[in-house]
Amino acid sequence: MHAVEFENVSKSFSEKNILENISFSVRQGEIFGLLGPNGAGKTTLIRLLLDIIRPDSGEIRVFGDFLSPAAKNRIGYLPEERGLYKKTRLLDMLVYLAQLKGIPENQARLNAESLLKSLELDQYKNKKVEELSKGMQQKIQFISAIIHEPELLILDEPFSGLDPVNTKGVMVRIMGLRAAGKTIILSTHMMEQAQTLCDRILMLNKGRRVLYGPVDEIRKEHGKNSLIVEFAEKGNLNAIREISGIKKIIEHGKSVELFPEEGISVQLLLEELVRKANLTRFEKTFPSLNEIFIETLESVSNE
Amino acid sequence: MNSFPEKTFIVARHEFTKTIKRKEFLFMTFFFPLLFAGISILPAMLSGMNPAEDQKVGYIDLTESFEFPKSIQNEGLSIGSSETKTSVIEFVMYREISDAKQALQAGQISSYLVIPEDFLKTGTIELYSPEKEASMSNFELSSELSDIVITSLLEGKVDESTLNRVRNPVNIKFYNIGKSGESSERSIADIFASFGLPILTAFLLLFSIFSSSGFLLRGVAEEKENRIIEILLSSVTPTEILTGKILGLGAVGLLQIGIWLAAVVFGSGYALPVKIEPYTLLFALIYFVLGFLFFASMMAGIGAVTGSLQESQQVAGIFTFAAALPLIFMQLILTNPGSPFSVFLSLFPLTSPIAMLTRMGVTAVPISQILVSIFILLISVYVVILLSGRLFRTYLLMYGKRPKVKEIWKNIRTESR
Repeated sequence: MHAVEFENVSKSFSEKNILENISFSVRQGEIFGLLGPNGAGKTTLIRLLLDIIRPDSGEIRVFGDFLSPAAKNRIGYLPEERGLYKKTRLLDMLVYLAQLKGIPENQARLNAESLLKSLELDQYKNKKVEELSKGMQQKIQFISAIIHEPELLILDEPFSGLDPVNTKGVMVRIMGLRAAGKTIILSTHMMEQAQTLCDRILMLNKGRRVLYGPVDEIRKEHGKNSLIVEFAEKGNLNAIREISGIKKIIEHGKSVELFPEEGISVQLLLEELVRKANLTRFEKTFPSLNEIFIETLESVSNE
Repeated sequence: MNSFPEKTFIVARHEFTKTIKRKEFLFMTFFFPLLFAGISILPAMLSGMNPAEDQKVGYIDLTESFEFPKSIQNEGLSIGSSETKTSVIEFVMYREISDAKQALQAGQISSYLVIPEDFLKTGTIELYSPEKEASMSNFELSSELSDIVITSLLEGKVDESTLNRVRNPVNIKFYNIGKSGESSERSIADIFASFGLPILTAFLLLFSIFSSSGFLLRGVAEEKENRIIEILLSSVTPTEILTGKILGLGAVGLLQIGIWLAAVVFGSGYALPVKIEPYTLLFALIYFVLGFLFFASMMAGIGAVTGSLQESQQVAGIFTFAAALPLIFMQLILTNPGSPFSVFLSLFPLTSPIAMLTRMGVTAVPISQILVSIFILLISVYVVILLSGRLFRTYLLMYGKRPKVKEIWKNIRTESR
């Protein structure tokens, strides 16, 4: 059973298409990346998933069924637009939000206390949100998304506004949740984090699906089949130019990118290179998600 | 929708406890009775506290025909207290004006009267008192004087009962004729209970409706401004939020009314004897509930559509002003409760709770009009809840520019959820 399934889902607002015919599925227990530039329709897709808004056409299933109020309780949500009650005591607010997810008051209180403790925030539990620092508020926001121990967690730009230390902390927590068997949908335009964390991705642009699949496969598909090499002496470059079977050489400052001809094996090329030059680096390229992202957006906009 | 009532209840309870802890609520709820007490009890206390002082009054009777008593007990007007304040006026006779003047200057008397020889022709009595001392006591003295003059002029010439009638010519009693023709006496307290109380209740209702629907508006606008609304909507439906808020704040309003009524009843035990008619209370309750539902759902819709607290309060102000029209035209409703304008105000849903209760206070409103007014209000409540529910679902997550009225109307009609 898939955690989430979208089948030909479309949504428009005042005659503007926000999502067009989107289909994808999220497997249980995976980290699923929802990528795309601003305005691609990521937040609309999440709101559709959560039944906050309804699609114009298409079908959405969560845990194999149409989203019921009971199923809503199994989902945690960290919205991109962060929001907390500013004047309510921290503990009271967390208990209220957990209760709205169907957790009984006593259990909600226990969960809130233990999460606050684990994030070293328990001394602030009787403070109001507005008295906390930005960083602490981010943590509270995260707690509010997981306080009811959801099976499916939707994180909309969880890294925005975080410093590198906190970014790392959130990444570790996300990986911990996957290890505990939770399904996570991660909407972001931080490609580095997405590449590290995500098992599979869906990339949207202007409401359309432009990429969809496992991260590894997508990177393989977009591989340019080139090699990056570096060598100790400048003069080695001329020697390399003499090697047959290389159709193109691009210099990137210190390193050089080689494009072998069709049918030339990387193994043979390496042997040749070792013979002709004093190699310090030899690497088969594999485009980053970031490069694929930019490349895909450019190719789409050129169409 | 199996979790519907439970989550609605959680929202309602949260709204209730959050609101009763608000400083504004505490201020409104507890300051208002004090204000009321101030308005009603203070003047009574002041007049009770300021009875005429005991005084010695000299007199020179140049007609030599009046008999002054040695002293009279003067019962002071006293509203604020059940005790009657009395003061004593002592009369001292002088033969010569100069003697009286000397006594006044020496402080032996506080003033003196001269009854001129031509008093019977002119009816004029001269009262002399030191500078800046003309006070309440002089007014009281004048009413006592007419009594003395009447008695002296008529004593022995007419019989005792005629004398009493002349001293106190009429004594009006007020009666009501009921539906079946029975009559009942109306005391001042009755008049206040049937006249003042509904108006007071109308005021209380208006304040409570305004304050609790104002809290609702604030709550929605703040949640929208805070963006926490998105988290709420991922857990509960807009209908559950709306219903929960209305129930929670309705309970706040009832609590507030309860406190105020208790304060009025308790406070008026001192100031004015008040009887609360069950009939009036019943309609007050009906109008409160319907009026609150009407305003609260309207405020929820406004809060959902507008982008910020400030903006929402500006828009809400227009409707609040309309609702306050009966207060502006209170004089008109009170003096002419049956005029077409008064009837219109008591039927129009924005103004009917206050206007109708006010009319009911001063006149016997035909039951058919009351029922029509309640019916119109009921229909309006239904329509407004429906519209606000739609606005709530459509606009809660739309930020930025406030939509135009035309767009809102289009969305209300096409909204498919």
